[in-house]
Amino acid sequence: MVSTLEDRVRPPAAAGGPLSTQEFFINMGPQHPSTHGVLRLVLKLDGETVREVIPVLGYIHRGIEKIGEHQTYRQFVHLSDRLDYLSALMNNWAVSLTVEKAAKIELNDRIQVIRTIMAELQRIQSHQLWWGVLGMDLGAFTPFLYGFRDREVLTDVFEETMGARLTMNYIQPGGLMQDIHPNFVERVKSFLKYFKPKLAEYEELLGGNVILQERLRKVGRLEAKTAVSMGATGPVLRASGVAHDLRKKEPYGVYSKVAFDVPVGTMGDCWDRYWVRIEEMRQSMRIVEQLIDNIPAGKHLLVKPAIVIKVPQGLYYGQVETARGILGIFVVADGTGYPYRIHLRTPNFNNLWSITAIAPGLRVADLVAILSSLDIVVPDIDR
Amino acid sequence: MNKMSQEDILTAPLAETAPSSSPAVGMTGPLAAPRPERRGFWWNILSGLRSLLKGMGVTFRYFSRPSTVVTQQYPENRATLKLFDRSRTLLGMIHDENGFHKCTACHFCEKACPNASITVAERPKPATGKPELDYFTWRMDSCTYCNACVIVCPFSVLTMSGTFENSVFDSRLLIYNLTRYAGPTSQVLMKIADPEERKRMIETRGVFSGVPLLRKGGRK
Repeated sequence: MVSTLEDRVRPPAAAGGPLSTQEFFINMGPQHPSTHGVLRLVLKLDGETVREVIPVLGYIHRGIEKIGEHQTYRQFVHLSDRLDYLSALMNNWAVSLTVEKAAKIELNDRIQVIRTIMAELQRIQSHQLWWGVLGMDLGAFTPFLYGFRDREVLTDVFEETMGARLTMNYIQPGGLMQDIHPNFVERVKSFLKYFKPKLAEYEELLGGNVILQERLRKVGRLEAKTAVSMGATGPVLRASGVAHDLRKKEPYGVYSKVAFDVPVGTMGDCWDRYWVRIEEMRQSMRIVEQLIDNIPAGKHLLVKPAIVIKVPQGLYYGQVETARGILGIFVVADGTGYPYRIHLRTPNFNNLWSITAIAPGLRVADLVAILSSLDIVVPDIDR
Repeated sequence: MNKMSQEDILTAPLAETAPSSSPAVGMTGPLAAPRPERRGFWWNILSGLRSLLKGMGVTFRYFSRPSTVVTQQYPENRATLKLFDRSRTLLGMIHDENGFHKCTACHFCEKACPNASITVAERPKPATGKPELDYFTWRMDSCTYCNACVIVCPFSVLTMSGTFENSVFDSRLLIYNLTRYAGPTSQVLMKIADPEERKRMIETRGVFSGVPLLRKGGRK
């Protein structure tokens, strides 16, 4: 018999009976391999069954919001790399987008197209790593190596143009830090050619595997209503059946000019979250394919780097869809070159909290699958 | 910004809210996720076995083809290992063939640096009467390699290139002085024909020479 969700949810045994059990608290983390960083989960367990999950944060808090008050808007971009380091370029874009909106900087097509290409490549790269780590969390080490092998190809593309592999600091308010490398277009094309059969291989190796399917299917169901009320965004929300994607709803960059589909889950379980991300990689490749051949000519930086960008007094909010959800930057500007206050609405914080609604009633091994399918980056939660 | 209530987000179909102004958008609406199939007892066992064999087939495909291995034998392949041109490794100052640089001590890089890793010290008694560079202190221990100093430099003096094997046993060796001499720029020096006169205008500086001038965090 295939075990179903109903099997996994067990009522507590009656106290005083022959099979009476005792609830106890146990720490998962802060140094646990499947928490992907220093995240502590306090579990209230009844045997193997999870009754309650309390995430405890703050182990990697660096005070980025406070440091941001002492940085110019251009300097703050390099701190945004360090939020969700797997979607550094999209974080850069969020800051740049907000500052450009506030300081009324108009951009040319070249900058917008290159930004969109970079963001989509980064989305693929981020999901590649997630795919590998998901396999490793569920006990298969091979996908981890395959995921990193393909990620390396893309990392080289980034390194050639930007000089950095992880914290790029590439998208600046008013343009891009450097123009794309002459080899960039060729390299991206060869990557797309290389990665398409590899994605089919991913499905063969992990997605088609019956063990993985059984560990993800009907596990960690997140209802659409719960997901919205928890503030979950990105693939987590879309897997719950809510087709909310900022790239479609409030298009920025050149997303309104390219054709792509938004994958949406039907049930909101771990399998849907798995499939949504796999399909997003395919759609991202589709977007890059449409843009890579006709990058318009133009300047890559419209504001000279020595100029301190001054933002007029007021409140500004900008948001982008990163690989994990909506990253919002809220800026309180006092008219100088420095922000008065910066607040970050990071996707992982809300996505993590949905675990408190999902996990009760499941087993500890399922909790690992849920954590992995939520795709958490801890520096983004604590920031 | 359009305000959406919880109910709106839940019920709003994607295709309606997306702009339909450009004809290039071939919207097919959201894709729905396929579910893994489960049927009878024996079907499940057979399909499970097939999926396991398929996955192992992938592994064996790579196992039988050593040409697909991408592992780099790092410490052994140092001779052939090349970084990209733009790789951000060590910060350096470009000196021409005579050993002169173009830095005018304009402090742009110092102001652009987000965490006070760069300190530009001017010469107390400049030979030309205009500001001259004395020490260019770069703290590698606090540098985040954000590249801001390189792109901000109006004379393209700074460059991020070199080696990535920079570990040392003494943290004081992570504070570099990038200029090789204290004195005017190469443009000023090259106007002087007499090499002896040139030598008198400059003083030699080593990578770790002098007392490094450090800003104790914060902004000036």
